[in-house]
Amino acid sequence: MMPTRRFRYKVLPLAFYHHATTGLFLVLLAAGSPGEVSAADDYQLGPDSKVQEGVPQGAVTKRSWKSEKIYPGTERDFWIYVPKQYDGAQPANVMVFQDGGGYVNPEGQFRTTIAFDNLIHKKEIPVTIGIFINPGVIPAAGADQKPRQNRSFEYDSLGDQYARFLLEEILPEVGKEYKLTNEASGRAICGISSGGICAWTVAWERPDAFSKVLSHVGSFTNIRGGHVYPALIRKTERKPIRVFLQDGSADLDNVHGSWPLANQEMAASLKFAKYDYRFEYGDGGHNGKQGGAILPDSLRWLWRTEGAAATQK
Amino acid sequence: MYFRGALVLSLMLVAPVFAMAQDMSVSGVLIDGQGWQLISEGYKFTEGPAADADGQVYFTDIPNNRIHKIGLDDKVTVFAEATANTNGLMFGPDGLLYGCRNGDKRIVAYDKDAKMQTIAEDLASNDLVVAGDGGIYVSDPPGGKVWYINSKREKRVVAEGLRPNGVILWPDQGTLVVTDGAEPVLWTFRVERDGSLTDKDRYYGPLQLPPGGGAPGSDGMKVDSIGRLYVTTRVGLQMFDPTGRLGGTILKPQPGSLSNVCFGGKNLDTLYVTAGDKVFKRRVQATGVRYAKPK
Repeated sequence: MMPTRRFRYKVLPLAFYHHATTGLFLVLLAAGSPGEVSAADDYQLGPDSKVQEGVPQGAVTKRSWKSEKIYPGTERDFWIYVPKQYDGAQPANVMVFQDGGGYVNPEGQFRTTIAFDNLIHKKEIPVTIGIFINPGVIPAAGADQKPRQNRSFEYDSLGDQYARFLLEEILPEVGKEYKLTNEASGRAICGISSGGICAWTVAWERPDAFSKVLSHVGSFTNIRGGHVYPALIRKTERKPIRVFLQDGSADLDNVHGSWPLANQEMAASLKFAKYDYRFEYGDGGHNGKQGGAILPDSLRWLWRTEGAAATQK
Repeated sequence: MYFRGALVLSLMLVAPVFAMAQDMSVSGVLIDGQGWQLISEGYKFTEGPAADADGQVYFTDIPNNRIHKIGLDDKVTVFAEATANTNGLMFGPDGLLYGCRNGDKRIVAYDKDAKMQTIAEDLASNDLVVAGDGGIYVSDPPGGKVWYINSKREKRVVAEGLRPNGVILWPDQGTLVVTDGAEPVLWTFRVERDGSLTDKDRYYGPLQLPPGGGAPGSDGMKVDSIGRLYVTTRVGLQMFDPTGRLGGTILKPQPGSLSNVCFGGKNLDTLYVTAGDKVFKRRVQATGVRYAKPK
């Protein structure tokens, strides 16, 4: 039989790994592993994700943060993106990203700051300051000991701890230098994998503070009980949250759950409860390829100001 | 072929960090066809399993005031009597068997010939873990405290305001984990160089709860060589990966109490559990940890 143009990959149980300290994204595809799937997953970045001549470029600065209150002992890096159009006269909108090192990377799968530059220049999204935050690490007391990686604890746990971390530690810190909006309508939050469910959890706990959620291959599975959201959404009075979910049919299926089924169930519950939501379901795996390719469209949809209608392609 | 080789190579390079990230299921611990095997029965309440350097496991029968020893041939003998409700046990790097002698509020240690000495006095105790440098963490449930006894045998309180039960150290001894049977989480602390505990958080959780309601009843714990943590609970032996995520629950050998667990056997690759009136074992694809390396 002649080989076909479409490769058949066998995808590892967790094909995506985020290095908590450096924000490095690795995509691992290997032959000879369980979970054979056939997927194209050949999403490409469009012009809005590439540097365009004549478009003013925002500035990115790196910071570090040691938490003493909400996640005691944790240390982390974060980056602030300030668009060229920000002049401090008006409070800027805010968008927070989990696994910030990956999203802020201008050569990564998302190239968020380039998309921000292009869309803000075309006035397709408002002037928005991006805060790209890495998960925390508790350094060990000794050089021969391992640091405690706090990523799963911070991102996968249900409850308001991460929302409070943003509202009581990070936003006030960034707010010392930049005028940020306090309106929920001007605050969005985004993440991939466990960072995706974290984004939803922040808005679910504090819809008074965050109204817009963007989730890429979100872990709405039972890592730490997050599989309950579809049920909660149906039986809880609708919250003022606009949410964009992306997932792919070749996403993970492991001991924590099935990512494709969990995201479909989230979408079905959001539809049932009449949320302002959009669900993009592709054929990719547990990575940022599709999410990155459609990031400009996702941002336009999330930040749009015209009437809200639930749509599903 | 080249393509395939390159992928395998790239996997090998990232294997140590990759192992942290992928899901860790109990199927990676259990061995098909290797279920729980009864070792011995007829006790009132078994607790405190602890392996010596040869892999022989000692355990207590608290109400009967005895410590028993399981030989490598599974034969059970009496090691010590009149133990004053001694509960948690663990061997130290000095080869002594340390015990929570709660009946007379002492921490004691036995040598090979069961000769007992007192390590600390005037503290309630349930469970203990002995670090590689000889420092000891002791849970004191009625006092709501965790004690630290340093290698000079000076004791002090290093954590308060919780209801501690089981205590265990990570393989690198940089993190202490504490159970509280009423909480759906396990507490973690950073271990400072002087034995102090800082940065308390609910790192492990949520635990699997009994369907229909009730507290988890988390009790004794151990870790394996790659940092997976095993905690006895009402629903079974729950296994967590090093990032604090539940990997699954190993069934209890029988209904009722599951109080504590340890790795034992010649290769330290067998789980031993104390379960009410009985003690069971089960060979697994995991290896226990000895804290003998100095800190």
